[in-house]
Amino acid sequence: MEPRSRSFYALAAFFGLFVLFLYGPVITIGILSFQGPRGGLTFPMNGVSLHWFFDLFEEQAVGDIWGSFRRSFGLGLMVMVVTVVFSVMGGMAFRQKFRGSTFLFYMIIASLIIPSILVSLGVGLIFNILDLDVHWATSGFGAQLTWTLPFGLLIMFAVFNRFDRSYEEAARDLGASPWQTVRYVVLPIIAPMLIGVALFGFTLSYDEFARTLLTAGSYNTLPLEIFGMTTNVTSPVLYALGTLTTLFSFLIIGCFLSIVILLRRSQASKGSDAGKGMV
Amino acid sequence: MTEKLDTKGLSRRSVLKGGAAAAGAAIGSGAITGFPTIWAQNIKDITLRQFGTGVSNLNEVGKKVKEDLGFTLEMTALDSDSVTQRAATQPKSFDIADIEYWICKKVWGAGNLQAMDTSKIKNYDKIVGTFKSGKLTPESTIAQGTAPHTVGFTEGPESKTFSETETGWMTLIPTIYNADTLGIRPDLIGRPIDSWAELLNPEFKGKASILDISSIGIMDMAMVVEAMGEYKYPDKGNMTREEIDLTMAIFTEAKKNGQFRAFWKSFDESVNLMASGEVVIQSMWSPAITAVKSKGIPCVYQPLKEGYRSWGGGLGLSANLSGLELEAAYEYINWYLSGWVGGFLMRQGYYSAVPETSKEFMDANEWGYWFEGKEATDVIKNPFGDAMAQAGEVRDGGSFYDRMGAVACWNAVMDENQYMVRKWNEFIAA
Amino acid sequence: MKKKALDPEKRAERVSWALVTPLTLVLGFFLLLPIATIVSVSFWSYNEWSFYPDFNLDNYMFHLTSAVTWATYLKTLKFVVITWIFCAAIGFSVAYFLAFHVQSLPAQIALFLVCTIPFWTSNIIRMISWIPFLGRNGIANSMLQSLGITDEPLDWLLYSDFAVVLAFVHLYALFMVVPIFNTMMRIDKSLIEAARDAGASGLQILTNVIIPLTKPGIMIGSIFVVTLVMGDVITVRHMSGGQSASVGRIISNEISLLQYPAAAASSVVLLCTVLLMIGIMMRFVNIRKEL
Repeated sequence: MEPRSRSFYALAAFFGLFVLFLYGPVITIGILSFQGPRGGLTFPMNGVSLHWFFDLFEEQAVGDIWGSFRRSFGLGLMVMVVTVVFSVMGGMAFRQKFRGSTFLFYMIIASLIIPSILVSLGVGLIFNILDLDVHWATSGFGAQLTWTLPFGLLIMFAVFNRFDRSYEEAARDLGASPWQTVRYVVLPIIAPMLIGVALFGFTLSYDEFARTLLTAGSYNTLPLEIFGMTTNVTSPVLYALGTLTTLFSFLIIGCFLSIVILLRRSQASKGSDAGKGMV
Repeated sequence: MTEKLDTKGLSRRSVLKGGAAAAGAAIGSGAITGFPTIWAQNIKDITLRQFGTGVSNLNEVGKKVKEDLGFTLEMTALDSDSVTQRAATQPKSFDIADIEYWICKKVWGAGNLQAMDTSKIKNYDKIVGTFKSGKLTPESTIAQGTAPHTVGFTEGPESKTFSETETGWMTLIPTIYNADTLGIRPDLIGRPIDSWAELLNPEFKGKASILDISSIGIMDMAMVVEAMGEYKYPDKGNMTREEIDLTMAIFTEAKKNGQFRAFWKSFDESVNLMASGEVVIQSMWSPAITAVKSKGIPCVYQPLKEGYRSWGGGLGLSANLSGLELEAAYEYINWYLSGWVGGFLMRQGYYSAVPETSKEFMDANEWGYWFEGKEATDVIKNPFGDAMAQAGEVRDGGSFYDRMGAVACWNAVMDENQYMVRKWNEFIAA
Repeated sequence: MKKKALDPEKRAERVSWALVTPLTLVLGFFLLLPIATIVSVSFWSYNEWSFYPDFNLDNYMFHLTSAVTWATYLKTLKFVVITWIFCAAIGFSVAYFLAFHVQSLPAQIALFLVCTIPFWTSNIIRMISWIPFLGRNGIANSMLQSLGITDEPLDWLLYSDFAVVLAFVHLYALFMVVPIFNTMMRIDKSLIEAARDAGASGLQILTNVIIPLTKPGIMIGSIFVVTLVMGDVITVRHMSGGQSASVGRIISNEISLLQYPAAAASSVVLLCTVLLMIGIMMRFVNIRKEL
C-alpha cells in the first residue's frame, strides 16, 4: 500500500463531487418531498410538512401507485432470479468452446446494443401478429430479460475468466462429482459476484421504461404508471415515493452488505479459502 | 351538503337498479322474470378495463361505479401517445376506451371499437347539441377542425365510415370537453393580454411554450398566425400543404429566435412550467390552470378575442365486448351521463356532455360559478377539497354558452395529416 | 442407450448446449424474432390506422432522403461524442480512485452501492426533479447567485443541449466506471512497481502503463454509452423541453402516430448505424478475451 499521496486527496474529492452529482436530483427530491400540503413539484416551498408521506398511502386521484409498485417489484424479482440462474448456466457453458458459441456470444452483445425501443416495438408487433395478449409478466418479462441477461452474462464471463480452475481440479481429485464440485466449490466462490448480478438485474428491471412501454398490456408497471400519472396534476407524492425509495434502498443495501460480511466471516471461520479463488 | 348528496345518490342508485333490470328485461334473454336476479348476481364478477389519459381516468369514478353499479371498473392512466396506440393496436387490453375525438378519427378504421346503439342511451336526448348536430344552439355556426359530430356517428353497427348526421349509431359517447385558450402568469406579465398573437411577442422571449402534440399544436399555431394577421385560413382544420408550410415557417423562425422555453406534452409538465415561473404564457388546459392556482400562484385562463380552441373526449366500446359485459358497459355509460361524474368533472373546470343531469349533483354556488359564469357566493372547492376560488370571483371567460359559443376551432386530424406530422418533426428538429 | 461412450469433449459440448438452451430460447423469441419482424415490417405499407404486408422501399426512401433524418443523426452524434468525452473522463478518474486508492473489497462494494442508490428512484421522478434543480428558481441557480458567481438566473442550465448532456452523463457515467474498474483490478500491481523502480514519473506510469492496460475497459464502457445515447427516447425530450430531436424520438413519434412500418424502417437504419459504430469499436478490442 502506497502512502496517501496528493493524488489520493484530489481523486477522493473528485469522487465526492461525482457522488454529489449523482445525488443532485435525489437531494432535490428529498427537500421537495417535505412540501406543505399546498405545495407543488417545484420551488418555491409552500410550508414544510410530512403531508405527502401520509398522502402516499392514500388513494391518489389518478393511478395506482402501490398496485403498480407490487407489479414492478414482482417483475424485478422474477427478472432477478431468472437473470442469475441463466447467467450462471451461461457463464459455465462458455468456459469451454462449443459449436455455436461465437454466434451466441454475438447475439448476447447484440441484445445489449439494440436500442430498447426497438425491442419493445418488435415484441409488441410479434404478440400482435401472433394474436397473443401482451402482459407485463409475459411479453414485458421477456423484453426486460433481453436487457438484463447480457449484463448478467458479461459479469459471469468476467468472473469465470479469472476463476482459478485448480480449485475445481482439487475437488475432482478428491472424488467430487461434477454437481458436487459446482455446488460446494464453484458456487461459494462466485457467490459475492452473484449478488452483483442480482442487484443489476433488479435495478435494470425495476426502472425499465422503454422496453416495457409497448409490452406491458392492460396493467402498468411503476415507471409507466408514474408516466401516466403525469397526464393529470401530480403532487409531491411522487417525491415522497422517491425519498422513501432511497431510504429503503439504504436499508436493503445495509442488509446485503451484512450478508456479504457474514458470508466471508463464516467462510473464514470454516478455514475455507473460498472467495479467494479469484485472481 | 354531503348528506344531501348522499341521499340523492341513494335515490339515484335505486333508479339505476330499476333501469338495469329494465334494460336486462329489454334484452330479453329468454327468462324475463328470472333475469334481473341473475343479472344482480353476475354483475359483481364483471370487471371492465378502461384506459385513457389521467385527465378523466380518476380513481374516484371507479370507486363510485363499484358503489352504484356493483361491478369493478379498472382504470389505467396513460400518456396521450400510448392511448392512441392501445386503441389502434391492442384491442384485447381494454374494454372501454376513453379517447379524444380526433384520436377517434384516426383509430376508428382499425375496427377495434364498436358503435353504440343510441336507443340504449337513456340521456341521449339531453346530450349537448355540439356532439349531435354540431351546433351548440340552433343559431351557432360550426367551428373548424375535427368537430365531434363529424366523427360521432357511423352508418351502422359495423360501419367504418363516419356519418355527418345522427344515425342512431354513435362512435363515442361524449364525456367531457372544454374550450382551451392561453394561460398566463399575470404577476409576471403585468399587462392585459387579449390576443393569441401575444404568444409570439418578443417580449416573452424564452418564456413561452406550446403543446408538443401535433394535432393540437397545429391548431394553436393557426390561431396565432391568424391573430398576427399573417394569413387567413379558409379552413384551419384542413390546411393545404402550402398553408402548413407557411404556418411552420413562422413558428420555426420564432423557435430559432429562442421564443420558446420548452414544449410540453403531459398535463403535469404544463403545470410545472407555469408554477416554477419557467414560462409565463403558454397554451394550457383549464384544470392545469386551477392546479397552478391551488398552489397559491396567480394564473389566469385568458379569454382571447379570436376565440377558443376546443377539444372533446368520449368513451368507446371495445369490439370484443359482448353479452353481459356489453350490457354492463352500457349500464356504465348510462350512469356516466346520469350526473354524478358530470358534477365531479365540472367542479374541476371541464364541461359535462349532459349538463342538466350534472346540475343535480352540484350546489347552486358551484353551478353558478362553473356553468353560468356567475360570481361565486362562497368558496369554490374542487372535488379533492382544494379551494379554487373565493367568494366574489368569476370564472375566466364567463358562462358555458359564452365559452363554448366562442369556439373557433377543434383539435383536428387533417387530410394532409401525414405531411403535417413530417413538418412538425422538422419543426421540432429545427 | 449405451451405443458408444462419448468422448469427453463431445460430452462437455452437450453439457454446454444444455446449459445455454434456456438462454438461447429467451433471446431467440424476444430478440431475434422481434428484429426479424421489424425488418420485414419495414417493407410493409400503412395507412392512417393499420399496416399490411407489401414490399416497398418507400419507408426507407422517405427516411433516408429526409433532411430531418440527417440533421437528427448529426445532432444525436453530437450528443454521443460530448457525453462520451465526459463519461470517459469521469469513469476513468472514479475507477482509478476505487481500484488503486480504495483497496479493500468491501469498501469498494459499499462505494459502488452508494453510487447505485440514486438509480432506484424512478427515472421519471428524477427527470421531473431536474426542473427544481436546474430551473430559473432552482437550487443550482440560487446557489450560484447566493455565492455571488452570477447576478441573475442562468437560463441555459435547463432545456438546452447542456441539460441533455448533463442528464446523459448522470445516467450513464456509471456504465463507464464499472468496466474500467474491472480492467484496472486485473492490472498486475508489480508492473507499476517495476515502472516506478525504473524511474518513471507518475504521469509516465499513467500514460505508458495504466491507460494502455485499461483500454479494453474504456472500449467496453464506450460501447455501453454510445448504444444507450443512440437509442435514447425520453432523456432528450425531457431535458431539451421537447425542443431537440433525437433518432429515438423520431421512432417513438412514428410509433405514436401508428406508422409502424415507417418506425420499423427508421429502426433498421438506426440498428445498422449502431452496429456499424460498435463494429468499428470492436476492432480495437476483443471483448471475449478482455472481460
